[in-house]
Amino acid sequence: MSMRGNEDEKLDALFRAYRDACPDPEASANFMPTLWARIDSRQAFLFSFRHMANAFVTAAVALSIALGVYMSIPRSTPGSNSETYIEALADANPLETPDIVGSVHLDLNAR
Amino acid sequence: MLVDFELIKRAQNRDSAAFNEVVLAYRKRILGTITRLIARTEDVEDVAQEVFLRLYFSLDQLRTPEVFEPWLYRLTVNAAFDYLRKQRRRQEFRMSDLSEQQVLMADAMAGGKVEHEEQLKKKMRESVDSLLGAVSEADRILLMLKEVEGLSLKELEKVYKVNENALKVRLFRARQRVLKAFGAAGKKGGPG
Repeated sequence: MSMRGNEDEKLDALFRAYRDACPDPEASANFMPTLWARIDSRQAFLFSFRHMANAFVTAAVALSIALGVYMSIPRSTPGSNSETYIEALADANPLETPDIVGSVHLDLNAR
Repeated sequence: MLVDFELIKRAQNRDSAAFNEVVLAYRKRILGTITRLIARTEDVEDVAQEVFLRLYFSLDQLRTPEVFEPWLYRLTVNAAFDYLRKQRRRQEFRMSDLSEQQVLMADAMAGGKVEHEEQLKKKMRESVDSLLGAVSEADRILLMLKEVEGLSLKELEKVYKVNENALKVRLFRARQRVLKAFGAAGKKGGPG
């Protein structure tokens, strides 16, 4: 026994009639020439895009190598101080400087 | 299959003659499907060319020639979707153009009987298009493929890449909505 109702069957018939009312159309004479023209045009675009992308990648690799080389060269500018911060501090405040190493006087009998 | 696997393999290897043969074999069927999916006769060839253009550039991604047909349907559905989306964005639903063209087609046909038949077909197309307006664009295309194009659930599974149960649920819901609209139209039109 079919579970489908009367409306279902009518709808199926309507879809079948619709299929018959819309037959597959024939292509026009210039369907294939236009299709190949579109394929060629897309291919030309893809080729130029790929060409540009390759050029961009090559340029990016070259730039990275150049930057790497530049960063790896040790740079020493003339007149620059090679001392560390601690050494510079020690030089500026030698141990014999009284205001740093002088004794603290605590006067307990001041009261 | 309208072509043999060997021809598809040759087309995959960028054999232009083989690709030409594939297009010639499927052209009419694809044009028919697109006509029913987009319902605008003047743009059918353009969309069909887009389908074959996509086919040309993606044919090398097809792993097995056995799934060629569902795959071609998938490309067709996607191209139809893209077209409908673009149309919706443009808000150019010039229904008057369509009927004008159909009137011209009907005028070109000789004999009153042919004209009468054409009028009936036109009425039929319009009523089904109106019924399918009750569902979303995606469901309309799914229903078209199932009910009008006659694709099986197995084939649809390959086209949509979703499992059969999910498709059944979606189809059932879409069909229920169309049935509801069908019932309402029947009541409005009266008996007969």
